Parts: sequence; C-alpha cells; structure tokens
Amino acid sequence: MTPTRIDPASFKDPAGFVFKQDGLYYRHVQPGYATDYDLMMGSGLYKLLVKKGWLIPHEEVTHLPANGAYKILLPQQLAFTSYAYEWSFDMLQDAALVTLKINETAIRHGMILKDATPYNIQFHQGKPVFIDTLSFEKYDTSKPWIAYRQFCEMFLFPLYLENYLQSGLIRLLSIYPDGIPATETARLLPAKSMWNMGTWMHVHLQKAARHSTAKPRQAAAFNAGKLSRLLEHLVGNVAALPGRQHLPSGWSNYYDETILSKEYLDGKVQVFKNLLSQCLYRTALDLGANDGYFSRILADDAALVIAVDFDATCINRLYETLRAEKAKNLLPLIIDLSNPSPAFGFDNSERPSFINRLAVDLVVALALVHHLCITKHIPFGKLAAFFNRFAPQLIIEFIPDTDPKVQQIMGDRQAIFTWYTQEAFEESFLDYFSISASIPISGSSRTLYLMKRK
Amino acid sequence: MYNFLLYIDPGNGSYLVQAIIAAVLGVSFYFKSILFRIKSFFSRGKKQDEIKDDVNDPNEN
Repeated sequence: MTPTRIDPASFKDPAGFVFKQDGLYYRHVQPGYATDYDLMMGSGLYKLLVKKGWLIPHEEVTHLPANGAYKILLPQQLAFTSYAYEWSFDMLQDAALVTLKINETAIRHGMILKDATPYNIQFHQGKPVFIDTLSFEKYDTSKPWIAYRQFCEMFLFPLYLENYLQSGLIRLLSIYPDGIPATETARLLPAKSMWNMGTWMHVHLQKAARHSTAKPRQAAAFNAGKLSRLLEHLVGNVAALPGRQHLPSGWSNYYDETILSKEYLDGKVQVFKNLLSQCLYRTALDLGANDGYFSRILADDAALVIAVDFDATCINRLYETLRAEKAKNLLPLIIDLSNPSPAFGFDNSERPSFINRLAVDLVVALALVHHLCITKHIPFGKLAAFFNRFAPQLIIEFIPDTDPKVQQIMGDRQAIFTWYTQEAFEESFLDYFSISASIPISGSSRTLYLMKRK
Repeated sequence: MYNFLLYIDPGNGSYLVQAIIAAVLGVSFYFKSILFRIKSFFSRGKKQDEIKDDVNDPNEN
C-alpha cells in the first residue's frame, strides 16, 4: 500500500477531501457533513443525478482505514483532468448548464449547491459531469443562492466576455482562479452590453451593488419561487448565448480549403493507419488536431483520445460535432503547444500543468513540427526533449522546407532556418527516440515517422 | 461542529442583487402570465406546450 496523498487542490471545503491511494482517487467525507450526505443519498437526489449522467457515481468503501471519516467514497475514476481555461465556449456553456440543472434538481429534493465552479465539472465520456459529491447542502427556502456570485464569476462572466469580444477570454480564468469579478467584467464588456437584460442585471447591477452590506435578513425576503425563477432565467440566458461557432478562423477550414491534394490526404491516412497498426495504445494525444480528422481514426481503437489545438474555433467546432455524435472517447481541448497550461493555484500545485497531467501511450504530431520550429523558432533538440517527456510512442510528420506550406510561413527568412533539414530533425530525435519506421507520403515531399522512446 | 453554510463568501451585495433580479423577473413573469392568458384565449387550437415555451422564451429581454 502506497502512502495516502491528499489531493493538493482539495483543501477549501470542510465537508471532506480527495486523496489518492494505490493509484485510485477516493473522497473522505467528514463527520460534520454526515447529515447532508445522508440527505443527498436518502432523498433520491444522488440516484436521479447519476441516472441522468450529471453526477459521477461512487461507491462507499470500507477496506481503507477510516481516519475519522464518516464515509470513504470511491468515485468512478476519470481518464483525464482538464480545466476551464482549456475549454472552448460550448464546453464551458454546457458545464454551466449542467451545473444549473443539477441545482434545480437538488432544490426539488430539498438541497442546493453550496458552490458553483467549473473545477467541479470534468468532461467524462464526452459529457460534462459534476464530480464534487460533497457540494450539496440542505436548502433553506428563505435564502437566496449562496453560490450565485461564484456562478457568475466562474461561468457566466467568462461566457459573456467570450460572447461579446470573441477573443479567447475564457483563458482569463487562469489568472482569476476565483472567477472574474463583476467590476473587471464590466470594464471589459462593450457599452452595448448595458442594453441586454442579462448582462445588465448580472454584471452591471452586481458591480453597482458590490459595496452593499445588506445581509440576507435586510434584503427582501427570498423564497423558493423567486429562486426557481432566477435559476430558470440563468438557464435561458446561458443557453441563448450564441458564442463564436459561426466565425471563421485561420484554421477552421484547413482540410476543406487547403492547397494540399486529396491524393496527399488519402496517402497520409494510409501511411498513418499502417503506422498505427505497429503501435500498442489505449490512450492517445493528437497535437494540432484541427477538425479532428486523425483524432477520429485514433479513437476507433482507443479508450481516450485527447485532441488539442491552439485554435479555439476549431476546438469548439470539433466539440459540437462530437457532442452531436455522442462520441465518448474524444476530448477536445484548447492548448497552445508553444505555451501549454502551466501549473496554477496555491503553491503551484492546485492545478498541475497540462504536460504533467499527461499519461498517454501514443502521441501524434501531424503537420505540426514546421509550425513550432519556424513560427515559434523552437530548435529540433528542444522539441525532441519536450516530446520525450510525455510520448512513449510518437507518430510525427516532417515537412521539408521545399514544401509550399513551409515556404509560406518561412517567407523571406530562409537564411535563419538553414538548420531546418530532415537530417538534422532525425539526428535530434534519435537522441531521445528510436525510429521504428519512416514512410514518405505520396503526392508530397512529407514523411511520417513512428518513433519509440529510448 | 463545522460551519458549512458559509464555506464560500456569498459576496457583498450578492443577496441584494438576487432579490432585485427576482423582483424584476417576478414583474416580467406577471406580465407574461397575462399575455399567456390572452394568447391562450385567442389560440385555443394551438398546443399548450408551444404557448408555454413562447411565454418562457429566455431570449425575450
């Protein structure tokens, strides 16, 4: 038995904490939360939320020492943990909606969410699922929603900002770990947001009321009807945000409009499948996934494929498609590989970096190396060392400088990229990997490699 | 005994804002209910659910 390790992000809620033991995550329920826990389990709330697929199922276990716990829970384990600042608009919108729907359901069972943060949601088998089993408390009908402000700052305001400004502002959540305050949101939103009832009430009114010291008793008496109207309004308001799905992006029509021929794509698929047949993998990471064409091929034989791209429009579109198809084993995320999510939070340990969260069997990097090397000036040696950290097996494409795409991004800077040769690429990667196969793609001067970590 | 109720800070003015929003929504709900009655009086053939959805349309700001 390995020593118990309390999850470094699990220290805020006095109701319990998450710990890891022998590779599994457990939840320790404190005796002080017993009444609420029993209400959740006994009122039918837990059963209904799990049936709807909104709450992670768990079982109560007795094989571990209680250490003062009321219960020890073993929740269904997650394949990967992602954070809101890596999600696209529709992902955060769906996470917000499921949080509100859970709250409405809880209220019908005499309970209410005592917090509302996207860190309580994970994308699990293709859907946003609430993972914090201890977030429910007994509902006092005379009180408004204690987590209303948190819901606004963590879900609603990032969605408003992205909806109005279309500038990848969901990532602001990484520098506002407790949510984007109303004052900052109001400063960033355009003046026309004053004329929308949702933004006026939740942002501008809340900003104006931030100095109010009205206590619950002084504020007008609240009741269940008022709360239900507020939640209903929030659901409608969030669901009605159109987001950025209809905006074109630099990359969103890559395969439709690209100058590359169909022969090239067919050839690449054939070579790719050939290399895949030489790999053993349950989980895979597709870097620069674009519309997810190759992620889908990977997903045919994988338990989980994480498809990342720095382009928010591509990832949002991919998420929408996968949601419509009810795909369960593909997780799209917005990640810039030249600057992947760092570790965030107290002591830099609440939210691990993207790279440190990875534990995949296979990494795929198609039509990517030239972007990192030429656009971002990353030398082959650094790139090979980077991939070595998280890629036990690597399928990687090399595109030489004679290729029109590479020439396009190189422009007239050829003189400083004399090091960009296929020989230098192979030499650098051979320091960290062995090359199992290298196959040229017909209809182009490109090559696909299969490499195994040394 | 732990104080679970206030484990997060509801925030200054958050209760007041919710009270105001609830009041605004209450007024708009009141007028929408009247509208709903008028609508249902004139459109008895229409399916009740459709009318209800119209009345509760969150896009109507």
